[in-house]
Amino acid sequence: MQVYKVYFKIIKSNIIQLMIYVFVFLFLAVILSSTYSDPIKTDFTSAKVNIAFINEDEDSILLNNLKDYLESHVNFIALPHNEKSLQDALFFRQIEYIVRIPKGFTKSFLKSEKVSVNITKVPESTSGIYMDTLINKYLNTARIYIESENDMTEKELIENMNTDLSESAEIVMLNSAVENDTYEKCAYYYNYLSYSLFAILILGVSAVMMVFHNKDLKKRNNCSPLKLKCMNFQMILGNFSFTMVTWILMIASSFILYGSFMFTSKGLLFIMNSFVFTLPALSISYLIGNLIKSKNAMSAVSNVVSLGTCFISGVFVPQAHLGDTVLKLASFTPTYWYVKTNNAIADSIILNTDTLMPLFYNMLIMVGFAVAVLVVTLVIIKQKRGLA
Amino acid sequence: MVISVKNLTKRYGDLVALDHFNLEVGEGEILGLLGPNGSGKTTAINCILSLLKYEKGSIDIYGKPMAPEAYDLKRKIGIIMQNVAVFEELTVYENIDYFCGLYISDKNKRRSLVIEAMDFVGLNDYGKFYPKKLSGGLLRRLNIACGIAHKPDLIILDEPTVAVDPQSRNNILEGIQRLNREGATVIYTSHYMEEVEQICTRIAIMDKGKIIATGNKEELKAMINSGEKITVEIYNPENRILTDVKNLPHIVSAFFHDSFLTVKSERDKNNLMVLIDYLKTRQIAFGKIYSEPPTLNDVFLEITGKELRD
Ligand SMILES: Nc1ncnc2c1ncn2[C@@H]1O[C@H](COP(=O)(O)OP(=O)(O)OP(=O)(O)O)[C@@H](O)[C@H]1O
Ligand SMILES: [Mg+2]
Repeated sequence: MQVYKVYFKIIKSNIIQLMIYVFVFLFLAVILSSTYSDPIKTDFTSAKVNIAFINEDEDSILLNNLKDYLESHVNFIALPHNEKSLQDALFFRQIEYIVRIPKGFTKSFLKSEKVSVNITKVPESTSGIYMDTLINKYLNTARIYIESENDMTEKELIENMNTDLSESAEIVMLNSAVENDTYEKCAYYYNYLSYSLFAILILGVSAVMMVFHNKDLKKRNNCSPLKLKCMNFQMILGNFSFTMVTWILMIASSFILYGSFMFTSKGLLFIMNSFVFTLPALSISYLIGNLIKSKNAMSAVSNVVSLGTCFISGVFVPQAHLGDTVLKLASFTPTYWYVKTNNAIADSIILNTDTLMPLFYNMLIMVGFAVAVLVVTLVIIKQKRGLA
Repeated sequence: MVISVKNLTKRYGDLVALDHFNLEVGEGEILGLLGPNGSGKTTAINCILSLLKYEKGSIDIYGKPMAPEAYDLKRKIGIIMQNVAVFEELTVYENIDYFCGLYISDKNKRRSLVIEAMDFVGLNDYGKFYPKKLSGGLLRRLNIACGIAHKPDLIILDEPTVAVDPQSRNNILEGIQRLNREGATVIYTSHYMEEVEQICTRIAIMDKGKIIATGNKEELKAMINSGEKITVEIYNPENRILTDVKNLPHIVSAFFHDSFLTVKSERDKNNLMVLIDYLKTRQIAFGKIYSEPPTLNDVFLEITGKELRD
């Protein structure tokens, strides 16, 4: 196991350069988890809206019932009925919504004539949309009864409507906001991980390859009784050990930062995805290690490849913000599939065969990358040997 | 025979690097492969070690054909390459241990062999040093220690003393002789004739990919016409002197080099007194005068018509 031992001695002699990437990553990860704030996700509550209700019509049963119906969803704010004070109240958010019932509304409505209530609201507010829905729902329900049964009294109409309107759907949130926030952060962590992991693998693997590909050392090894097969075996073993150690190191801090979340099925999926990603990363590092000739080229290539793939694959900028051409280009790198899978894991609400299949499919693509690049590398190695 | 190379021919494109190269090395010899730069020494060594493919010829080591997969033969060989081949990332000790470990897997045995090798080349105090911190001479010594630590039966050294200070050089040359006394067969390539003359039991002179002469140094020197070489400093060099000297008995050649007259005599003939008599009778003023036996350079010069060293 002479070669295997030397493998790690070479890694050791490059440890400072490698550790820089680990620290940069940990720094990013820690900064990220302390500053990253999720878009506000409030749990579902039907908050009450402040509105002004101005009735210029008679006090009909229909309208009084509307008021009763709205009562459970809104607070009626009493305001002077002049335009200026209403507008001021709206502007200062004392109220968010004004309903004005025009004169003769009830009569026309009961005759199925075309009439409407006047609405003034804060532009683009959720409460506005909410109010619209409530009022529309009430009036539409009423209209359906009026149009279907002509001889119904106003009283009967109201009774029917109230039973209908009292039915409300039960709303259950599957993910709590806190959980979502952690998964989001965790996805960021694992996305960033691809940058450092990739850079470290390229640097480490090519550092070792470069030494063993040194012309004089290669000759010297070739005239020793060390069998080529044995040498390659030790190299591959070295590559895998190094990759595993790096991977474990990189995911270890996610257990510290996110604790028990890492043991949930989503957490395990993140871990699994990052493991699958190490395969093409190692394969590509091995290819680069076989092509690179100098130390300077080594750090340049490791930076360009790791940073470049991460940029276009949506590690630093979310994939949703990237152009189609960039993403298409990125889909030729394993990082893209890795990031895509991480995001999908974070976003998925339920995990079942339907939601898991696309994730496994992405991982399969990464494995495909690993195999394809490895084959190319082996062909290159073979051709190089033929030239000697 | 330890090594038997027959009709080895190796081309680099149009260049014929080895042209029907023949070489035999017997047990216990220190064979010197002497040739100018570019004569094909390294190419011959690389072919013998199966590091290069060759067009024609056969190479047998210990009676078995040498091949890239002949691991049992490779196990018996110690190799010191012309270019230092050590790991920058490993210390002196770790380097020797790595190369020794390619041949010997027993850890305890290896430990004592590595220490012995460090002793042998005088690197005991440098065990923890990295190659970058070693001077050129010490680095060469490390290269040698890496090649011989496993106590090989056959040691091949390709110009191990290039760019080495005289102290290291003597250390290396003595070491090679010591290894040979301990039973190793040695092939030593160099373009320094003094080194080869000093340590080799047999010398093969090569030029342009061919062995042009073999034998021990006496045999080689006996092959050529010229014997003693006399050099005299003459204050007034004239052509007349040259003609007269050439007419003296047993003179092979005479020429001026600035104010120095070089006179080569026939083998086994002593011309020093005759020459001094001539200069005295003609009252020619002369300064320094010295006489040398023929060197391998003279041998090379007479066979190829050019100097061994350019
Ligand atoms: N890889 C190569 N490709 C082409 N030509 C080569 C190659 N290696 C050596 N040569 C040529 O072959 C000839 C023999 O080279 P070689 O290195 O064997 O000489 P050498 O006797 O070892 O010289 P030196 O004393 O400088 O080490 C030279 O002319 C050299 O230019
Ligand atoms: Mg050479």
